[in-house]
Amino acid sequence: MTQLKEVDIAVIGAGPAGLSAALACGKSGATTLLIDFMDAPGGQLIKQTHKFFGSERQFAGTRGIQIPSIFINQLSQMPNVQLVLGVNASGYYADSGVLTLEDGGKFIKVKAKRVIIATGAGEKALAFENNDLPGVYGAGAVQTLMNVYGVTPGNRVLMVGSGNIGLIVSYQLIQAHVQVVSLVEAAGRIGGYLVHAAKLRRAGVPILTSHTIVRAIGEETVRGAVVAQVDQSWQAVPGSEREVACDVICLAVGLTPLVDMMWQAGCEMKYVPALGGHVPVRDENMRASNPAVYVAGDAGGVEEASSAMISGEIAGISAAVSLGFRAQDADARLALLKSDLAAIRSAPAGEKIRAGIMSATACGGER
Amino acid sequence: MADDDIIICRCEDITLRQIRELIAQGYHTIDEIKRVSRAGMGPCQGRTCRQLIARELAGALGVPIEQVEMPTFRPPSRPVLLSTIARGEADE
Amino acid sequence: MWKIQSYSHFAQRREESGRPLGRPRLGMVRLKEHPILDFPPGREVAFTFNGKEIRGVEGEPIAAALHAAGVRVLRHSPVLGRARGFFCAIGTCSSCLMTVDGVPNVRVCTEPLTQGMVIETQKGHGHLPID
Repeated sequence: MTQLKEVDIAVIGAGPAGLSAALACGKSGATTLLIDFMDAPGGQLIKQTHKFFGSERQFAGTRGIQIPSIFINQLSQMPNVQLVLGVNASGYYADSGVLTLEDGGKFIKVKAKRVIIATGAGEKALAFENNDLPGVYGAGAVQTLMNVYGVTPGNRVLMVGSGNIGLIVSYQLIQAHVQVVSLVEAAGRIGGYLVHAAKLRRAGVPILTSHTIVRAIGEETVRGAVVAQVDQSWQAVPGSEREVACDVICLAVGLTPLVDMMWQAGCEMKYVPALGGHVPVRDENMRASNPAVYVAGDAGGVEEASSAMISGEIAGISAAVSLGFRAQDADARLALLKSDLAAIRSAPAGEKIRAGIMSATACGGER
Repeated sequence: MADDDIIICRCEDITLRQIRELIAQGYHTIDEIKRVSRAGMGPCQGRTCRQLIARELAGALGVPIEQVEMPTFRPPSRPVLLSTIARGEADE
Repeated sequence: MWKIQSYSHFAQRREESGRPLGRPRLGMVRLKEHPILDFPPGREVAFTFNGKEIRGVEGEPIAAALHAAGVRVLRHSPVLGRARGFFCAIGTCSSCLMTVDGVPNVRVCTEPLTQGMVIETQKGHGHLPID
């Protein structure tokens, strides 16, 4: 009979939120397991070439790609923390607190007293004719291809979506000497920070608001697209269709939290459009309605890496404290983290996120 | 190629037309549509199509998208090889 | 670090090659210069795609190696025969399923390339290798 492995806290996902959560758990003295299905840790940080803003606690001035090793160096010194890579967290059985892990070869069962779900978010799909044609790529995918593997996605890119991801990836394409033929945004105005949009304008990229993609053209791969103007009810304006020559259509139409495990765990979920879709209802310590489960990072609502690192640490400290592992400065640190998070969210652009977070947070205050 | 030929479930090749027909026939939840058409039963388990189907349902039923009921989520979160299950648990 | 003893074909190949994180070599569609990133050369390996020999960098995702070689059509869908390729790059959307070393339904966007891999475009749902 196989022995069931037991840990105090299992952290699913080793992106910015998971790394941060695991470090907090490690510091508290709890036995911690950090799991990721990729062979290398870091989540989306591994392709983030831009420098971070904010305070030094959130690594201001450091590039995203440099951050995972800062965490790993500390985590690897902690005997109570174990890192498992290239392994998928397959299921979480709420009644027994058992997590199943598999890697395409073997299953392992882990009994965890607490689980922190930091599985991030995935690209949303957009429905248009021929949206499944090779050459239609998610923006994150294009960023990975270029920044991690140094392969350009094509020569002429049509970017769909003007949120920060659309704007930043367009700029990164230009840095890699790929032409961005145009950026289309269905809404009447640009979604992301204007400082990013300004860089694109200076680089000569036409940004067409109130426009969307109607059709991808090509037999086996993309060779063009048809874009059209849209009215206020998102309907294409007749006669406004034009063809654009391109070999890549990059979709940057938003991310949606990857919350399957939270549903599996029976957590109360709520649909919050500002956060990207369904998110778990949680308290201000990131604890979900199933008290053994915590959420951290984009899995709790799509924001950014800095917020992910903060909510990860909040979840880590809180999960540890709930088991009696309280690091000396836990309360002070929690207060500081919450105020950092509020500061990030207090920018005018953060208003929708703030409203979204409030709508996803259950009243009840401190545990 | 008409609007309705848009592929909603790319794993199982289910088109928008098929989804709309099913809704018109009275299948009003994501779960029922899944069971009848296989949309959401392929390798990605609905990750790509679920929200698109939800949006169609919301439009057809005249309800806000937050009221569209989500199907049940069960393990495994990603497809698992039968050989992995057959081997059972790791000994170490 | 826990080591999970694994019997899956790919897990073994990755162990054997030491699981390197791929770094591309400079070439035609591979970036020659970049203002921030620096791509030190990785070990170049040969593999086949539908019988044709191609070279890629050990450890990079198969999809990246194929893309660098100009291959964007990765399969055709089972029912309607529509061309499909890379989409999400994180192993969730299942657009990129190919047959690798005879094993069907491999997500090539996350599976690392190793020397001598036999990559084929998959027809339909693929066929299981019979021992």
